[in-house]
Amino acid sequence: MAVAEYSTSTKLPIETIWNFVKEMDNWADLVTGYQSHEKQSDEDSTWVLKGDLGPMSRMLKLQVHITEWNGPTRVTFELKGINELMDGHGTFEMSSYEEESEPGVHVAPAERKNFILRLLEAIARFFVRLLSGGAPERAASADAGPGAGMAKLTFKLELKPGGPMAPMIDSLIKPVILPAAEQLAGNIMARLEELHGTER
Amino acid sequence: MANAPARWDLDIDWVSIGSGLGGVCSAIVAHDLGAKCVILDKSPRLGGLSGFGGGEVFVPNNYKMRELGIEDSDESGREYLDFLSAGFRDQDLFDKLLATCNEAIEYFGREAGIEWIAIEGLPDYYHPKVKSARASGRYMTVDLFDGSTLGEWQGKTYAMTPHVPPGALHKEMYAWGGLAKVTTWDYELVGQRVAEDKRAMGPGLMAYFVKAAVVDRNILAYVDTPVRELITDDGGAVIGVRAEKDGQDFFVKADKGVVIAVGGYDHNREMACQYESMPDWNSAAPPYFDGDNIVMGTEVGAAIAAVPPNNLAMFYGYNIPGEETDGSPLYRASWECGVPHAIWVNKKGERFCDEASYKDYQPRLRQWDGQTQTMPNLPPTLIFDQNYRDRYPLGSFMPGQEIPEELCVKADSLRELAEKLDIDPEGLEKSVKRFNENARKGEDPDFDRGSFSWSQRLVGDFDYPNPNLGPLDKAPYYGVKLVPVSVGINSHGLKTDVHAHVVHVRGQAISGLYAVGNSAALRDLGAGYQSGTSNMRAITWGYIAARHAMGKD
Ligand SMILES: Cc1cc2nc3c(=O)[nH]c(=O)nc-3n(C[C@H](O)[C@H](O)[C@H](O)COP(=O)(O)OP(=O)(O)OC[C@H]3O[C@@H](n4cnc5c(N)ncnc54)[C@H](O)[C@@H]3O)c2cc1C
Repeated sequence: MAVAEYSTSTKLPIETIWNFVKEMDNWADLVTGYQSHEKQSDEDSTWVLKGDLGPMSRMLKLQVHITEWNGPTRVTFELKGINELMDGHGTFEMSSYEEESEPGVHVAPAERKNFILRLLEAIARFFVRLLSGGAPERAASADAGPGAGMAKLTFKLELKPGGPMAPMIDSLIKPVILPAAEQLAGNIMARLEELHGTER
Repeated sequence: MANAPARWDLDIDWVSIGSGLGGVCSAIVAHDLGAKCVILDKSPRLGGLSGFGGGEVFVPNNYKMRELGIEDSDESGREYLDFLSAGFRDQDLFDKLLATCNEAIEYFGREAGIEWIAIEGLPDYYHPKVKSARASGRYMTVDLFDGSTLGEWQGKTYAMTPHVPPGALHKEMYAWGGLAKVTTWDYELVGQRVAEDKRAMGPGLMAYFVKAAVVDRNILAYVDTPVRELITDDGGAVIGVRAEKDGQDFFVKADKGVVIAVGGYDHNREMACQYESMPDWNSAAPPYFDGDNIVMGTEVGAAIAAVPPNNLAMFYGYNIPGEETDGSPLYRASWECGVPHAIWVNKKGERFCDEASYKDYQPRLRQWDGQTQTMPNLPPTLIFDQNYRDRYPLGSFMPGQEIPEELCVKADSLRELAEKLDIDPEGLEKSVKRFNENARKGEDPDFDRGSFSWSQRLVGDFDYPNPNLGPLDKAPYYGVKLVPVSVGINSHGLKTDVHAHVVHVRGQAISGLYAVGNSAALRDLGAGYQSGTSNMRAITWGYIAARHAMGKD
């Protein structure tokens, strides 16, 4: 199982994030490797993503089913590979910033963290710092003054490859899943802030 | 032509253009003989196609097989390679290659820390039909390589390739049942090796050499730095190169020599179709092989030489829609045709070759029908049934997984399949009927499929009496149209002499210019191919070129 969790924060109110996130078309193209998506209903959609798998890239077709639609704080979904043996699930969680810990990168404990994963974590941390205008702790105390109304977006994704090669595919996707989570959460914030003229 | 710049950006002794085996081996030897060297590569990684392939190195009577007590002799090795060359070799080059290959391999084992292994249980291509062929030991490869020892180069080398399983040694693969049985391999172990960046086969082999060059010896190396032109003096001697680095000209002076080790023209479709006399061309290589050997060489007067293309390493295969490597479609060689329950047919629905031996199918695909002005066996179509699908993968599609329709056509009967694929239905039904009757007996009287030990070892399923044969008798049926897939080994290249010097069209050696590996014409080995000879000649001629340039030969 490859697991990634990424959090980022903004001065925008939580409702603004929710209004944006709840409409898939607003952010679909921000997903790493996005090629296309098609909505069958409010809960169901199919996605085509281009992803790196070791030395090559592949088209991944996924069926996504929303399992919890609990605005403005939480969306959960399940996904299933159409052309690849793969299952997974994820959540978007939005909360007011003060209640939570500092923004940063969290990677759920992986039994086998390879060097690339460790490297990517370090890079991701660097970007969080960059985006939040300094070290996370300083950003938190400087920006999140009383009434600053900061919100935090956390994106979690778990992917579980199937079939006989699962353990190998698992090792191959681990290094790419964290940057994908990071990129999506970061991109959503960047687009929101562009739309609403706010800087983190 | 004299095109020296007003100012050189780097003044050095030896320039390796290309960072595959030929380029890196020559740089290591030149360095060890006191030269200051640089390796320049067009791609974003070091290691070339050598790091993207199977990593087998064919060396008859090598020291590692002797250590294992496997019997061989120089004479027998010579006899076998003589058979392969089919009379199209240059005797002097052949002699020099055979006289030096073991010395070169041992040198790199001793001086560069290459952990050589002789592969047990992998037979020569023509075993047991040719007496001088051996059942085991002539192919060498390396032990697992720890990617973390590459330091800053770890991410700038191939950790794995889509063409061979990552992190698995040959002996493990065979113990797990071979390529036909990929569904039953130990993927826990493979996954762990991937996570730990433990490399094997081509990526492992090349990682050892890259480490020896750029980590242990600190040899200068630049990626994303294509060489565009050779620089010559008034007398026509090559004295340096013009590369492109960060979008700027980068002039490198080479006081002792320049080696062209850029591979061939796999991604220059026009050049490939012309030189290989093929109507179509695709490659399993990443997109950096543009025929720069031919372009840069002929620009300074180099002669081009060739061997007949009939029986070189060349496959047929497919691109899984959406699969790419470095932005270029990834073509996979199809091994499926040698596995039970699968055959190849032409448009008439007829079989035309031993599908389990690419040495047999290659010349038959090139067959020309003068009466109809066509190549009757092109394009070949891979046909298999549900027995196959229940047991074996198609490319990366495991049993039970849907295969996209753009790649694989499916039908409930052979007739319907043939119609969908524009193949003669009667022809297909007849061919399958005959194939099935014989396959059930473990025989193929038409093409003797399953008679080479190599075919059995590579793609055979040892649960079957004949590991390469099984009937197609369970619906639904499947068909995949195949296209040519080259593995970088071309019939045309630069003409070289016994020192690996490039030969001018006027006959003299071009001073300062060497060519090795796939950039050099295959006159040393002639018309045939045997896996591992390509890497062996890249290593050996790289060794020879550098020694000659440093005044050692
Ligand atoms: C799937 C596959 C499996 C294979 N398995 C085997 C095997 O098991 N055994 C075997 O013997 N052979 C095998 N081969 C073939 C083998 O990989 C090559 O023959 C061998 O690598 C040739 O080495 P080389 O020195 O010629 O250069 P390569 O390894 O081909 O390297 C050439 C380098 O030159 C660079 N380059 C190109 N143009 C320029 C330029 N203008 N400037 C600078 N750099 C440039 C390229 O980027 C590349 O890095 C396989 C090939 C494939 C595709």
